[in-house]
Amino acid sequence: MKIVIAGAGEVGSHLAKLLSREEQDIILVDKDADKLATIDANYNLMTLRGSPTSFTALRNAGVEDCDLFIAVTPYETSNVTACAIAKKFGAKKTVARIDNYEFMVEQNRDFFTSLGVDYLIYPEYLAAQEIMTALERTWVRHWFELHNGEIILVGVKLRDNARLIGMQLKELANTQQTFHVSAIKRNHETIIPRGDDRIRINDILYFTVTRDHVNDLLEICGKKQYEIKKVLIMGGSRIAERLAALTGDKYKIKIIDNNLDVCKSLPERFPDSEIVYGDARDIEVLREEGIEDIDAFIALSESSEANILACLTAKEFGVNKTIAEVENIQFISEAEGLNIGTIINKKLLASSKIFQILLDADINSSKCLALADAEVAEMVVKPRSKITKGAVKDLNLSRDMTIAGLVRDGKGMLVRGNTVIQAGDHVVVFCLAGAIHKVEKLFN
Amino acid sequence: MFKVHSIVNFPMLLKVMGWLLMIEAAFMIFPLIATIVYRETDFYAFLIATIITGVVGASMTTFIQPSRTDMAKREGFLLTAMIWVVFSVFGMIPFILSQTPFTISDAFFEAMSGFTTTGATILNSVEHLSHGLHLWRCLMQWIGGMGIILFTLAVIPMLNHSGGMQMFNAEVTGITHDKIRPRISQTAKGLWLIYFLLSILLCVLLWAGPMGFFDSMCHALSTMSTGGFSTKDASVGAWDSTYVKIIMTIFMFLGGVNFGLLFKACLGEFGSLFRNDTFRTYLKIIAIVFVLFVIAIVINGQAISISSVTIDPLFQIISTMTSSGYTVLNFENWGTFVLAIVFVLMFFGACAGSTSGGAKIDRLLYLLKNLRNEIHKCIHPNAIMSVRINDKIVPSEIVSKVIAFLCLYVLLIMAGGIILTAIGIPLVDAFFSAFSCISNTGLGAGVTGYGSSYDIIPDIGKWVLSFLMLIGRLELFTILILFSRSFWRK
Repeated sequence: MKIVIAGAGEVGSHLAKLLSREEQDIILVDKDADKLATIDANYNLMTLRGSPTSFTALRNAGVEDCDLFIAVTPYETSNVTACAIAKKFGAKKTVARIDNYEFMVEQNRDFFTSLGVDYLIYPEYLAAQEIMTALERTWVRHWFELHNGEIILVGVKLRDNARLIGMQLKELANTQQTFHVSAIKRNHETIIPRGDDRIRINDILYFTVTRDHVNDLLEICGKKQYEIKKVLIMGGSRIAERLAALTGDKYKIKIIDNNLDVCKSLPERFPDSEIVYGDARDIEVLREEGIEDIDAFIALSESSEANILACLTAKEFGVNKTIAEVENIQFISEAEGLNIGTIINKKLLASSKIFQILLDADINSSKCLALADAEVAEMVVKPRSKITKGAVKDLNLSRDMTIAGLVRDGKGMLVRGNTVIQAGDHVVVFCLAGAIHKVEKLFN
Repeated sequence: MFKVHSIVNFPMLLKVMGWLLMIEAAFMIFPLIATIVYRETDFYAFLIATIITGVVGASMTTFIQPSRTDMAKREGFLLTAMIWVVFSVFGMIPFILSQTPFTISDAFFEAMSGFTTTGATILNSVEHLSHGLHLWRCLMQWIGGMGIILFTLAVIPMLNHSGGMQMFNAEVTGITHDKIRPRISQTAKGLWLIYFLLSILLCVLLWAGPMGFFDSMCHALSTMSTGGFSTKDASVGAWDSTYVKIIMTIFMFLGGVNFGLLFKACLGEFGSLFRNDTFRTYLKIIAIVFVLFVIAIVINGQAISISSVTIDPLFQIISTMTSSGYTVLNFENWGTFVLAIVFVLMFFGACAGSTSGGAKIDRLLYLLKNLRNEIHKCIHPNAIMSVRINDKIVPSEIVSKVIAFLCLYVLLIMAGGIILTAIGIPLVDAFFSAFSCISNTGLGAGVTGYGSSYDIIPDIGKWVLSFLMLIGRLELFTILILFSRSFWRK
């Protein structure tokens, strides 16, 4: 597939790097030669210097026969314009990143389609959705639904009170099992566990479960589901605004911001919330605003460091759920190691959303989720493929992949050693980065 | 050594090298066939060489199982540098085993001169060589012309990742490396396709003239790669044909153009060719030097026929510029002024990204534009000036890199020349040989009147010159970085 990416900012370059490892033809366009130079020299893709809204530059990039055009410059107007030009030249699908919620409204959809923009990405909206999910399931790190929720992928960080700690996976297999441990993230590294791997404290476990058994995980992981009522948000940002709009009156929201001018304008944008002027990193302020009674603390200020620190402080006050926005990608791995519940990164959210759009457009690929160094794919089993040749345990699968679950006739179930996979099944496969081609071989 | 092992992924490096050797073995089959066709005893030399190369390559790929397959910058540089040496080592086997045995120094020099398309030879007479050896010499130039790594990238899909990128950057000439397609293997395939088609075309055109099939094939291989090996002692002069000269001039000229531009031109984008600053400078230099040559020829009373003021100087200019190193018959009589211009042409060569050697016109262009700015700034110190190439501003870091390159280039010629004088070669010839080898031109040492080939240079000198050819072909940094401390340290 030929993909043109306009804008080599963090989202653009992240996507370009990600996609260049796949069998995709990537052309990255940006005005800034410095940004392009390092990417050009180190990744298997082509870069082109030029304005994303220049006709000549886009023609040189060959948008007329590209399958996907992605505009992720910092300016929404440039993005929309670039998409319109690309579409006129003949780009099959176009994606634009925007910063304005009005653009997303359903009534305006046709307007953008007529302009030539097929998909709109609004990172703040994605972030707000992510926070919503996190608030609804306080015990979960990652939550991903496959095949209309028939199979659910859950990432949970284990603390010392989890029953699983110290157990080998094969011991688990003897019990009545309603879940499948598909991957373990341990010290910045993802592993596909085998029977003799032991579960340790501070592991993030990725479980595959069917819908009916999700709640079984709570008990074995030693987690409790908290009912969230009162939410304290640090920073009156656009994510906060989206979140308030999404949740309606479900939560009681209080916003702390340390910019007086911003605070004065906030009541207009958050009619139902309480607004406080102050620094949320200040313990006095937090105490005054009743941090002890708060159920969830969300740090959405512009500074990643401040967000991380504020969340750690809130945790000390006994807040059950903390969520931090961390925009510096290099901080994320460290922040995950700290005791912060959920980490939100607009750029990664935007990239993974675009990645999904791309996969919808590309029928050959079926990857549905990219974790840090592992991938999850949903494969449809073709008749007579290698995977149907016997029970899973007899197939001698390579160690860097595991088959987690499958959906047969619209019903989700887990895969065990004795399961025989049939043609037409939708199978969920976990594999380490780079092993996806092996998986594809098995299914074709 | 332990430290070294941990920093460079040697197992993977050797495995890739194994694949490359198998490719070399495959290329050796062509001269092997030639020896069968002409019923020559060198058949055994090539059979043994092919088997050794093939077996070593195959065992390296089968028995080495690297624990990790990643290749980064260091591996890219090291592999590219090593493979040129390893190819020459295996490529010299047929010379050593042939009916006319070479010493190891001679064979290595000849092989390195072949792969780097230098075209310098230690043979005083080439006509007694077997057809197999002739074909192998020209084939080496042809492989080396476009690049060993580039060929591998085109045929081995396993290298289609960022490790392959690093190798591409380490081998392809020029300051910046323009990709013609998004993926590195497509770029390599595109470039090799153009190269291959042009070579076939040239072979057919030469065959249509006075040359026989075998000679036209050999000359096509060494002309397209701007190498300069010939099957005759009198080189192109042996045919004394204006047709041959014209055809070869055209294809040497094409060999001196950036193949990325040629690729675009083949797709119908002729505009991009003529809008390119380097290409235009290339044409301008040829035009200006042509006028100077004609004047010099007339003054020296050598204007004896129409061809001596038209195709002869043009052939000589393009042959020198593209670092082919073919000479026309009475070139020595044109005077020292012509020789001086030839030095300048050799120094800068033709366009980057072509098969030619030298410092490349691109760098000359950067240098001149920067020089103009510096002079202007002496009077207008506050003027903001920038080096613009193809309507794009070149960052000052790149300009300084170019200047560093040129300084290093001159220093290396000096160093090479000084070493050669130390082993007893006359001053002018020492510097000229070093210069001729580092610029991959391979104009015979005979031009300066010292011996009739590189045969006269002592063995140590041959190794020094071989090393210079390698440095010149891989554009200095790829080789020299291996001698830096930072390369081997974390």
